[in-house]
Amino acid sequence: MSGGKGGACNGCANLLDFNKTAKIRKVIDDAREKGSTEIDLKEKNIHRFEEIPGIFNMEWITGLSLAHNNLKTVPASISNLYNLEYLNMYNNHLEELPSTISTLPKLKILILAMNRLSVLPRGFGGFAVLEVLDLSYNNLNEASLPNNFWSMTTLRALYLSDNDFETIPSEVGNLTDIQILSFRENDVVSIPREIGSFGRLRELHLQGNRLTLIPPELGQLDLVTQRCIIRLENNPWIQPIADQLEVGVSHVIDFIRTDQYRYIYEKQLQQGTTAPPKTNDKSKKISRRTS
Amino acid sequence: MESSPFHKQHQETAHPLYENLESALANLSIESEYDVAEYGVLGPPVPPRRNQIRASTPNGSLSSGSLRESGSSGGGGIPDIPVLATPVNDPSSSIVMSLSSMICHRCNEGFEPHEKIVKSHGETWHQQCFVCAQCFKPFPDGIFYEFEGRKYCEHDFHVLYAPSCGKCNEFIIGRVIKAMNKSWHPHCFCCEICNQCLSDSGFIKNANRALCHDCNAREKAAAIGKHICYKCHGIIDDKPLKWRNEPFHAYHFNCTTCSAELTSDARELKGDLYCLRCHDKMGIPICGACRRPIEERVVTALGKHFHVEHFVCAKCEKPFMGHKHFEKKGLAYCETHYHQLFGNLCYTCNKVIEGDVFTALEKAWCVNHFACSICNDKMNQKTKFYELDLKPVCKRCYEKLPSELRKRIQKLHKIPPKKQQMT
Repeated sequence: MSGGKGGACNGCANLLDFNKTAKIRKVIDDAREKGSTEIDLKEKNIHRFEEIPGIFNMEWITGLSLAHNNLKTVPASISNLYNLEYLNMYNNHLEELPSTISTLPKLKILILAMNRLSVLPRGFGGFAVLEVLDLSYNNLNEASLPNNFWSMTTLRALYLSDNDFETIPSEVGNLTDIQILSFRENDVVSIPREIGSFGRLRELHLQGNRLTLIPPELGQLDLVTQRCIIRLENNPWIQPIADQLEVGVSHVIDFIRTDQYRYIYEKQLQQGTTAPPKTNDKSKKISRRTS
Repeated sequence: MESSPFHKQHQETAHPLYENLESALANLSIESEYDVAEYGVLGPPVPPRRNQIRASTPNGSLSSGSLRESGSSGGGGIPDIPVLATPVNDPSSSIVMSLSSMICHRCNEGFEPHEKIVKSHGETWHQQCFVCAQCFKPFPDGIFYEFEGRKYCEHDFHVLYAPSCGKCNEFIIGRVIKAMNKSWHPHCFCCEICNQCLSDSGFIKNANRALCHDCNAREKAAAIGKHICYKCHGIIDDKPLKWRNEPFHAYHFNCTTCSAELTSDARELKGDLYCLRCHDKMGIPICGACRRPIEERVVTALGKHFHVEHFVCAKCEKPFMGHKHFEKKGLAYCETHYHQLFGNLCYTCNKVIEGDVFTALEKAWCVNHFACSICNDKMNQKTKFYELDLKPVCKRCYEKLPSELRKRIQKLHKIPPKKQQMT
């Protein structure tokens, strides 16, 4: 595409590069001058944190957005920014994270969606006050998670859509305050009964998995009333559930509350049916690209 | 005597032995006249309690024992105040008799010429024979008690015959209250609840306790879960009429307006009582919660009136008590539960939303916090956005999403993703 332009393009690239550095510097300088607490560096074509001059000395900032850049790594010194409450690295090229990230004592919202993460660092679940964690669209599965991942009891929203989970660990039941849980378009084959114990759950995204059964415990959730949403589409449900789903989600919930369904569920569990095949084609996911 | 309170009590509760004692004492004769002046010193005339004898030693002559009975009559009253006899030296009271014709009442022997002779009750004794029938010792201070012809010193008389008090365990001399299978000093026999003395007022046995009439009535009413009328002190068998925090028989009152005799459903208004009919005619607001009239502060909300304490959160049922409430679909909620139930906590900051609210995708935001979930660019009610996992995505970010994801999003929605607009 750009092959024919030769030397001119080189100069062009340099100019662009200069332009980019100037833009970043301007944002940082402005922030220093005004003492802003929120820094927006989205879409700045940043490849490395080093391109952001003195960012790790700006310990007063509470918000940092680096969405739509090309960051591959995060330096351990991210922990210098101990006032951060909001950190957004949506759509970068992150393949790994420093374990120091979970030491940020005030971080409430962490957006790491649309990266290339296939593993999380040890101790990642050590966040003190994290409320919203978005890890959608990465290459994560249950084996990628550190031991303490499910001990983040302050979480109210956990997004794990577009990953590679095949099971949801029963430790998910530790997230007692969770209001939003999303496993949209993974390869999940079963839902742990523990989800039925979530008292405050109001969104449960389970579309596009390999689910056949719903634990009857989910009937305890108040999902049918106003503002409670459960999404079940595009799963190979057993026929009775699929039939109810045709009519509506509330019919599914009513159905799984019946003794009849309880009997079906226990029987199916005893038979130990083989998991349905994976159907989601993930080859085109940009998280699969390698540098 | 017959009309004295004691006597009355005695008839109700006296012990038979005591009765005998009393008559024994009553039968004591007056050995010498009593000194009227002494009563002035000792107080009101009271029946005798002790006898005192003083032996004197006139040569060869009989000494005169003086036995006093200080009773105002010969009756059987028992005094509370000890009366000590004093020697009476009036010669006229001495009776000189022939020595040879006298014998000792105890040993039936005669008397020597210079021997001291004790005379009492028309009988004579050697001094050494005039002793307590129980301990054979002379009477201390010459005080003795006589019973069934025998004389006892004070100590032995008490030990043998005097009852001991059920409360203080002391011997009872004088008036004895015989009740509850025990003997009592009159001042020791009290109501077990209010401690009021029961000796004169009588008592009622209640669960093995001696109670005064008032306490008994209260206990009885409490035991059957009923009230005692504050006016007549009778048990209220049907529902009491509460007035000024006390229960009454409703029939003690009449309606302030129509003068009809009241029933227990009468209502109080500003200290006056009205029958239900008259009360309802007076335009009193009715509480929307309990359906009863509101006589104090009225809360008006949701098009109804409420008692202050009945205007409560539909979720936690705590009264608002003047704090702000939130109305939704004809129900009122406290701030916490309104936001908990209807999601008006900001999705971004998780705080209660002050002021205007953006609601979309089953979520709510503070006006300043409504932004694209990807790039965090602020949005307003006119901004068109897409939905991904029930989060708003601005058009610019949506178009940056990889096409394979956009295709899946469209497939999930089955229809081309329609642009959503703020409501």
